[in-house]
Amino acid sequence: MGEKLNIRAMVYVAAEPIPYFWPMRSFIHHNPLHGLEDMPFETAVEQGRRLFHARGYLPRSEYQRYLKQGSVDYAALESGIGEFAAQHAVPSGIDLARWLLTLVTATGLEFSAVSRMSDAALVQAALGGTPMATDGAPVDVSQLSSRLRDQFPPDMPLCEVVDALYGTELSVELDERVIRVCLDFLDEGQSVWGMPERERGLFAAWRELSRHDMFRSPDGEWARQLLEANSDPEGVIAQAMAALGIPEKHWVGYFTRELARLHGWAGFIRWRSSASRYHWAERYPADLVDYLAVRLSLSLALLHQRRMQPVPRSLTELYDAVNERSCETYLRHDFHSGAVMPELAHRVERVLALGRRKDIEALCGDYLAQRKARDSALLAQRLDQLARLVGDRELLRSLDDVQLQSLIDALVAFENSEGRIWLQAVESHAINRLLEGTTLAAEKVREKRPFVQSLFCIDTRSERIRRHLESVGDYQTYGIAGFFGVPVSFIELDKGSENHLSPVLLTPKNLVLEISANDSRDDIAVGALEKALHELKESVLTPFVTVEAIGLLFGFDMIGKTIAPQGYHRWRRRLHPNKPSTHLLLDKISREQADSIIRAVQRAVIVKAVEQELGLEPERITDDMIRELREAALGHVAEAPRILSLGLSGVEANALIDRLRSAYRINASYARLQFERLGRIGFSLDEQVGFVSQALRSIGLTRDFSRFILLVGHGSTSENNPYESALDCGACGGNHGLVSARVLAQMANKPRVREGLRGQGIIVPDDAWFVPALHNTTTDELTLVDLDLLPPSHLVYLDRLRNGLTAASRLCAQERMPTLQMGVARQDASQASRVALRNSMDWSQVRPEWGLSRNAYFIIGRRSRTENLSLDGRAFLHSYDYRLDPKRRLLENILAGPLVVAQWINMEHYFSTVDSECFGSGSKVYHNVAGRIGVMSGNISDLRTGLPTQTVLKQGRPYHEPLRLITMIESPFNHARRAIESVLSIRRLVRNGWIRMLVLDPETGEIHLFDSGDWRSLSHLQADVKPTTQDACIR
Amino acid sequence: MLSYVTLALAALFLPLFPFSMVFNLLLSRVQRGWQRGLIILLWPHIGIGLLHVADIQVSPWVAVWGVLTALLYAARALGLRDMGAWMGFIVTSSWALLWVAEAFGPGGELTHLYAVTFAVPLVLFALLGEGLTRRYGAAYTGLYVGLASSLPRFSLVLVLVVLAAVATPLFPGFFAMLALMLDTVPHSTATAVALALVWLLWSGAGMRLLTDLIVGQPGSTEVSDLGYASTSGFLVGLGSLVIAGLYLVGGMS
Repeated sequence: MGEKLNIRAMVYVAAEPIPYFWPMRSFIHHNPLHGLEDMPFETAVEQGRRLFHARGYLPRSEYQRYLKQGSVDYAALESGIGEFAAQHAVPSGIDLARWLLTLVTATGLEFSAVSRMSDAALVQAALGGTPMATDGAPVDVSQLSSRLRDQFPPDMPLCEVVDALYGTELSVELDERVIRVCLDFLDEGQSVWGMPERERGLFAAWRELSRHDMFRSPDGEWARQLLEANSDPEGVIAQAMAALGIPEKHWVGYFTRELARLHGWAGFIRWRSSASRYHWAERYPADLVDYLAVRLSLSLALLHQRRMQPVPRSLTELYDAVNERSCETYLRHDFHSGAVMPELAHRVERVLALGRRKDIEALCGDYLAQRKARDSALLAQRLDQLARLVGDRELLRSLDDVQLQSLIDALVAFENSEGRIWLQAVESHAINRLLEGTTLAAEKVREKRPFVQSLFCIDTRSERIRRHLESVGDYQTYGIAGFFGVPVSFIELDKGSENHLSPVLLTPKNLVLEISANDSRDDIAVGALEKALHELKESVLTPFVTVEAIGLLFGFDMIGKTIAPQGYHRWRRRLHPNKPSTHLLLDKISREQADSIIRAVQRAVIVKAVEQELGLEPERITDDMIRELREAALGHVAEAPRILSLGLSGVEANALIDRLRSAYRINASYARLQFERLGRIGFSLDEQVGFVSQALRSIGLTRDFSRFILLVGHGSTSENNPYESALDCGACGGNHGLVSARVLAQMANKPRVREGLRGQGIIVPDDAWFVPALHNTTTDELTLVDLDLLPPSHLVYLDRLRNGLTAASRLCAQERMPTLQMGVARQDASQASRVALRNSMDWSQVRPEWGLSRNAYFIIGRRSRTENLSLDGRAFLHSYDYRLDPKRRLLENILAGPLVVAQWINMEHYFSTVDSECFGSGSKVYHNVAGRIGVMSGNISDLRTGLPTQTVLKQGRPYHEPLRLITMIESPFNHARRAIESVLSIRRLVRNGWIRMLVLDPETGEIHLFDSGDWRSLSHLQADVKPTTQDACIR
Repeated sequence: MLSYVTLALAALFLPLFPFSMVFNLLLSRVQRGWQRGLIILLWPHIGIGLLHVADIQVSPWVAVWGVLTALLYAARALGLRDMGAWMGFIVTSSWALLWVAEAFGPGGELTHLYAVTFAVPLVLFALLGEGLTRRYGAAYTGLYVGLASSLPRFSLVLVLVVLAAVATPLFPGFFAMLALMLDTVPHSTATAVALALVWLLWSGAGMRLLTDLIVGQPGSTEVSDLGYASTSGFLVGLGSLVIAGLYLVGGMS
């Protein structure tokens, strides 16, 4: 038991750096290095590079492009380089800062790759033009062994080691086998035939299946013994690690690297094993211990397969080879890793194939000498090139080998810091731009209330539509997290499952049901046709016939979608009836009501059961009979005598009662469960008042309410897009935000809730009406909803409101469309609007919209501070008035929720841009949906995490500008600082440099930036009238 | 006796295993692209000429030997990384099939034509190999990848040349292989199947070679792409090859 727990604990710790992967139908943006957030950003990026073999910064050429475009703060670049240069000693006369600045701005030169094997004396000789001696000195075996051991640390998966030394593809084969197991086990309804015995869990099901698969193969002998000796995954892991010869102190590291190989699948298993109430996980359990047991077993099977040439099968064997056959191991590694000198590649291959030790050692000496000479010559050439640009060519030639080495060391060390310095310079430019547009001017005093107040999601896409809405009329806009502060578990009309409409950080307690206000729909014909079609497609044999018989119909479908997507889409929509008008069941039901509902449901079920079980006509079933049966089934009475009047014997009657209990779930425990579930429905009055009050206070809207208060949720529409939910509202768990808007509007329009608000000092006038609306971010349309509930007094203003919304939509599309279309200049607004609409219906459109790409800022404060600044859809805007928040609770909530989610979004975009293949998901073009969970590239690959290239790149170059989230809080400095310090997650993110935090103090006009571990004052803005915090508080 | 000597000599120039080793040894010693090209162009015609001059009727078992040699070299080409050796093996594999043309086909001038058909793409390949050696130090797969990004024009030409070398449709090799198979079927179905297998292995070897060179992220080494004039020259050459193939071997004349 102790060992099992130990293994479980080790796997748990090992999995920390593996990011969660949520199923794609509710795409959640996440930081791929979330598990490393307790490290400083630069350290985590370096760790991520090692672990995932990924890049953490853009290549120099891209930063140079930014520099040309004017997106880099040159002074900050100089300053960063200056700081680095000051820490490194170089020969006198060399201005290292100038060398480095020239290096990064004017060249693509790199030094680290050619410096490893170089020799300063040879570099000096090459610079001086003297011929270099290439005679091979005797090979220093111990140095070679030591270098090799560094290259093969004990936590490196052995299959990777073998691949690196023998050019095999064991790791790829292992990955493919593991992916197949994952695809079979984790499938969520895509496959018609499922893996057998999945209920027993991943390891047990796979172990059982292996008896019929791997065990029969001669290569499976080793794995067979391992699996027969151990029936539990922990035992398999322990025995496999012992067989691999990995010392226990390196197990955690080894596990991490094994998990990181397929971090998509591992991340999904990690998430589902910790998700509460996840149907598929409850039904088919799996965790990372299972996963590792499978992976290690397969790994051992591959290492021991018979066709393999003798390769190290344990760490001991590997280190023996390194010590005893250093030359061979070294040459093997260079050859198979692609580092071999091309001129000698053929000779190395031939000598290694022949395997004569003497020849290998002779070649190794020769090879090392030639490598040293070549790398030194290359290094000299690059140094000379750089010196020429700097103008220090003579100085370079005058350096002795020790001085030369110190210069080379500094240049090589700089390559590790270069990305950070560039990033800070780009961020500095972005900060300057924000501050230039920020104002502290006093808000205008209004003579009358605004025509409309609109609450938009903080999403960056709202910035554009808000700006345009403000420009077309008397519209005041606010930013709030798109779930409007109300975490809801929602059951949609005609759906049987709950959908969480809240950020993933929260688990909603309250359930909201959607109920139809119309008659039930009659779409049986179309539904039956669709079902039949699905069955034809999914069966084993019918697809062959189906293609011949009705394939042509699909051809028409394709032509329609391709040639005239809008017209065809409209026609298709007519096949499905419109969704009926619905209401939301928001109020809590009383105990008596719940009891009555359960009783009514039970009675209805019993009536159906009696009809079906006994074949009775409804008129023969009396109410009393049903009541008796119900009482008997629930165990309140012993029998149901009236049922005997139907001619049933006592035994038959008892059998019916048993069946009611078991098959129809008329029993006490299920009744209790139903009661509990009913208890989750709706919100109490106090809860409703609390949520509305909290939402209004958090954005500083507590007085001067307009006639219309729009609550605008957002969502997207696109065709043929597995990433559709990534374009929806992240604050609503990757769903459309309309339901959340409806929920808050319905609450806020209730007289009793308003009464409660009045008690808290928020007086909402009687003529103020909260109207839910949807902002379609693909088309920019703003659609008002639940207008049937609108008071008649408001109808007269509806036209003006609609005109304003339409104008804003069109202007927004006009601004946005040129960024989506290549080579298209600004169009007129209506044309742009049409193009946007087409994008949403075009199934071949890989980029219906840019989503949250180019996000850079998170601004917490009053709208007036940035309303004159066009932020190009790059800012999350959260309204906040510090004067309403003397205890900092509201600010802490904003930091703990919306800011954390925005940071995930920001980091996902950052890393997907800097390494689209590893942290991103590559091109959408090759994506295939896997198991209804996510996508794979091609027919088999890791689950692709992150964003596709079409979301972050444009014509192969970054469209998203990868920056850390620049967050600005408008509040007195100490007020903000204390809030940051009290929210642990944010404190950690700020201190470790994952967020660039600014505080704009409206009372002093001072800007504070957290940089290099401390706060520093940046500049002053023209300060507002200076009320103290306490004086300014409204209550 | 003389005919056996002639046959052995012919087996050297129309390489049959193990005589084929001589040709491959010679090719590995010659490094210049144009010299390799010249050898490839001329070598098999000596063998065919010997057969014709001596008026030797090629027995079916020699044809089978030829197919087995072709199979051996095609299979070995699958795992080769050195482009020079790859070229040698593919050309050996294709020339060995000329014995089939002599045994089951009409022979005569057509065999010469087939030899040219198989050789010309590999002459172009030899020139490209030299270009890679000049740029990277060796023409070797797996050491530098992503040529499609770093050398787009060179990659285009290389892809077309490899496709021509492995006898894909429209290139003359395709029609030559098709004709060989159609000629072989009436005499020996098994040999025809083996021919198809050889063809399949060539395709595999070609695709593997291209995958290891063309795909991937290129390294930081800066190299110059093929000039526009050279690219045009290669493309014109390949275009001419297609047209000539269609007329001379493809039956459009």
